[in-house]
Amino acid sequence: MFQFVLRRLLVAIPVLIGVTLITFILVNVVPGDPVLMMLEKRADQATIDRIRHQMGLDRPLPEQYLTFLVKACKGDLGESFRYKVPVTDLIKQRFPVTIKLATSAMFVALVIGLGVGILSAVKQYSVVDHASMVGALALVSAPIFWVAILSQIVFGLNLKWLPISGYYGIQYMVLPALVLGVRPAAGIARLTRSSMLEVIRQDYIRTARAKGLAERPVIFKHALKNALIPVVTIIGLELGGLLTGSILTETVFGIPGLGRLAIEGITYRDFPVIQGTVLFTAVVYVLANIIVDISYAFLDPRIRLS
Amino acid sequence: MLRKSRLSKLLIVGLSVALILSIPMVGGCKTGGVVKGGVLNDWFSEDPAGIDPQVDTTLMVYRLARDIFSTLLRYQGATFNLEPDLLAEMPTVSEDGLVYSFKLKSGVKFHDGATLTSEDVRFTIERMLKPETGAGSGWVFEPIKGAVAMEEGTATSLEGFEKVSETEFTLTLEKPYAPFLHNLAIPPASIYSATACTAAGDQWRMAPVGTGPFKLGEYLPDTHIRLAKNTDYFEPGLPYLNEVFIRIVPDDDTGRLEFENGTMDASFLPTDVPEDMQRYQDDAAAGTYQILESTPANTYYFAFNLNVPAIEKLEVRQAIAYAIDKQKIIDTIFGGTAVEAVNFISTGIPGAWAAAPGYTFDLAKARSLMQEAGVTSMELEIAQRGGDTPSDTNVALQEMLSQIGITVRISIFDRATFREMRNQGNLPCNYGNWWADIPDPDNYLYTYFHSSQSTVMSTGVNDPDLDQMLDEGRLITDPAERWAKYGEAEKKIVYDNCWIVPLWHMRDYVVLQPNVKGWTMTPTGVYSYRTVYKTK
Repeated sequence: MFQFVLRRLLVAIPVLIGVTLITFILVNVVPGDPVLMMLEKRADQATIDRIRHQMGLDRPLPEQYLTFLVKACKGDLGESFRYKVPVTDLIKQRFPVTIKLATSAMFVALVIGLGVGILSAVKQYSVVDHASMVGALALVSAPIFWVAILSQIVFGLNLKWLPISGYYGIQYMVLPALVLGVRPAAGIARLTRSSMLEVIRQDYIRTARAKGLAERPVIFKHALKNALIPVVTIIGLELGGLLTGSILTETVFGIPGLGRLAIEGITYRDFPVIQGTVLFTAVVYVLANIIVDISYAFLDPRIRLS
Repeated sequence: MLRKSRLSKLLIVGLSVALILSIPMVGGCKTGGVVKGGVLNDWFSEDPAGIDPQVDTTLMVYRLARDIFSTLLRYQGATFNLEPDLLAEMPTVSEDGLVYSFKLKSGVKFHDGATLTSEDVRFTIERMLKPETGAGSGWVFEPIKGAVAMEEGTATSLEGFEKVSETEFTLTLEKPYAPFLHNLAIPPASIYSATACTAAGDQWRMAPVGTGPFKLGEYLPDTHIRLAKNTDYFEPGLPYLNEVFIRIVPDDDTGRLEFENGTMDASFLPTDVPEDMQRYQDDAAAGTYQILESTPANTYYFAFNLNVPAIEKLEVRQAIAYAIDKQKIIDTIFGGTAVEAVNFISTGIPGAWAAAPGYTFDLAKARSLMQEAGVTSMELEIAQRGGDTPSDTNVALQEMLSQIGITVRISIFDRATFREMRNQGNLPCNYGNWWADIPDPDNYLYTYFHSSQSTVMSTGVNDPDLDQMLDEGRLITDPAERWAKYGEAEKKIVYDNCWIVPLWHMRDYVVLQPNVKGWTMTPTGVYSYRTVYKTK
């Protein structure tokens, strides 16, 4: 296990370097000057040049990249052009917010997704099955922005059950978590259904039923564990995506998470924020995938981490 | 039966209690119709990322600066008339227009308790001009003698500032500059505390200290800003509110939903969604909300880049001007919330050419001009700033110009790219807008058409005669003579050469909950909470 994890981490290093290099090239190739974004109304060339020099943007590009890389290895992701504070501080403030949103959304996704998937598999071709799959298709197809605004109008404005936006307590996370969670829930439901259907047709399940076991232990003890292997892969990928910023949800609900930080960095060409959030995102994805791989061994003893 | 004396006592007590209970306890006390106290909930769609109006030139920073800081002068209510803010009286100006003498109010306190002196004014101006500040608004103080030397780093103190006493000082200009006092009335000219700003260093933008009616209570980036009442504000009785709570709500629809839900007390209204505007106006008529409107100093225009070969002929530019049915766009896209423009300089600002005829929609004339130019068909690129799809206005322009043989291609660029292209002089023709910094024609014409600026605004104008007119305009101190000069310049720009097509002046709308009073719509679009209060 240790060797497996170490090997995966070592392989991740060139991946991360590649990510930072591509990001650096892209932010410098894409048009848009961070100095001009700060000076909304007035921008004479002398002022722009002065500020660019102060921000170090007039240094040669290889020097800028190497400086960033060396500092990043020490945990220093530079200082935000816009906020004038270390990027690591900004990420430390925003990431816990995104973690809370992501884990809440994943909880919603798992409860709904697994529940609906199992039910659909057990009641295959029933009204419940058809309704669930159509519903899942609709949720996957619906733009998240539209779902978010609709939920604000229905549950916030009309019914006044929940706050419309903000981040001031647990009740403010309910709508965003629901909105963010229903899409992966739909994917998880469909995958759980097909995976369960495959498993419950296996001989050992037929044997368990023939032996007189009640349906609940047959499904939840014997079938579900094996059906979860492909689902865990999806969960890992979805969690990585949720953790690295649910930009639209955070924007609509006014949640100060990592996604908003990243999009603001791009909008204002805040290079250190862009590079820092992208690197952080890459690290999170790598770790999430390692955790997913490790979990396989627990789910299926036949899988050895080698 | 009660004895008379005991009954009297009971009556007195009862009447007293009734009198006390009859005083309306509405979250504050009432003084002459104004209710003091309470919290106003407002929202911004962008986080200001710090509050330093010398460095940042965004509207959000200006609005916060208006209430956290004070300026030497300010605009009177909803007008462009100047009145003293930190000054005890209006400054005097020498006959040659070079020396301005100022006297500060005595005993004005910063939020940290320090007293305002002339040294704070010197510090503020010099900080703006020092290269290490990275200020984006140095132009505000540039007319002062020695300012340019400071900006270039060849001087470390301002030659044109002379301290007379703790509350008196003079500013000497390099050359006469008639609108100089207006420069001192806008948020970038906010006066900072020398000691607090020096002590704060890089953190000044997150913990500003001013003399304004509100102090910064709490700033949680991307979440909210809390402004707390400055109980030592130099205007007795103000502000009325105890607190202003400004949430950062990045999605405009969400912000308006919050307003309709009653969790916000104020919201701006977009002018490009007529159905929404009508809905709010209907609600306002029913008494659910109140809508305030004004026509601030702005102009929306169709700008040419003279470096684009397609529009180098005057007749083509004029044809485009006549082919745009401005009133139709105002009525259909903006629901009548704009006023057709005949000048580039906004209505109400002196210096606009009084006899401007306007480019009235005339398709026949437009086609005739294209024939004169010898152009039967051509392609034209219009740049659009932001958005996922072409805006309604750009689509309308595209359709209108197709009527005179012009095929328009709308290119959408994100904000940063658009700004960079404009700054490099590479922006093709575009539908844009200008909101004046100060109510002076120089702020319009020099910014866009002086050859020193025309590249960064992508107009491509390089006309020595015009440069001379605009340079001379800055030096003239006699108002009538000055306005005549600018009127002449505007005629040359808009009508003789059609270097820009003024389209309309957009109205500004704010919707308020019915219990919000004292809100003043300003001609600059920079509101203050200083006089706002809430009833009930």
